[in-house]
Amino acid sequence: MNGWQLAAAALTAALVPCGWVCLRRSFAEGLVAIQVAAAMSALALLTLAEAEGREPFANLALVLAVLSFAGTLVFLRFLERQR
Amino acid sequence: MSATTAISYALLAAGVGFALFAVTGVTTMGDLYSRLHYLAPSTLAALLIAAAIWVREGPSMIALQATLLAGFLLFAAPALAHGTARAARIAEHGDWRPQRGERVDVEER
Repeated sequence: MNGWQLAAAALTAALVPCGWVCLRRSFAEGLVAIQVAAAMSALALLTLAEAEGREPFANLALVLAVLSFAGTLVFLRFLERQR
Repeated sequence: MSATTAISYALLAAGVGFALFAVTGVTTMGDLYSRLHYLAPSTLAALLIAAAIWVREGPSMIALQATLLAGFLLFAAPALAHGTARAARIAEHGDWRPQRGERVDVEER
């Protein structure tokens, strides 16, 4: 196991606390956790792509970052209307 | 271990460190607005990891993708932090602007 694989594993494990915040805290706080989780997932895919020498994983990271940005904007609209 | 490899691993370790710092902050802070501050370290983590890939690979497709990802997160994270704070204020008070009873010092224009 090289350093890049270890980094990918650490970044993947970092998703667990984000999931805990999503489950246990308010909708708005869960949204913040989702944003950090999206960044962690994208970075995990990027480090995995570098570790395994597989460029398509890096494409996935880019697509995930863009789509999660759009998805979070939609959730923000829901949050605004939640009164 | 060559100098290039050592620098690349150092940048990677710093990037992962900042990423874990961001997750720790989001998990342990008490309220929404405190948690929002911890989006910034995740952007810094992306920049450091992209730099690590540049040092290891040199100019290559994966280095370019890493740079694009870091650049996108650099733009997206502050925009989302602002949008989240604004949406949360609207959900709480019906408006994002300071309310009468809040005791917030605001300069009138």
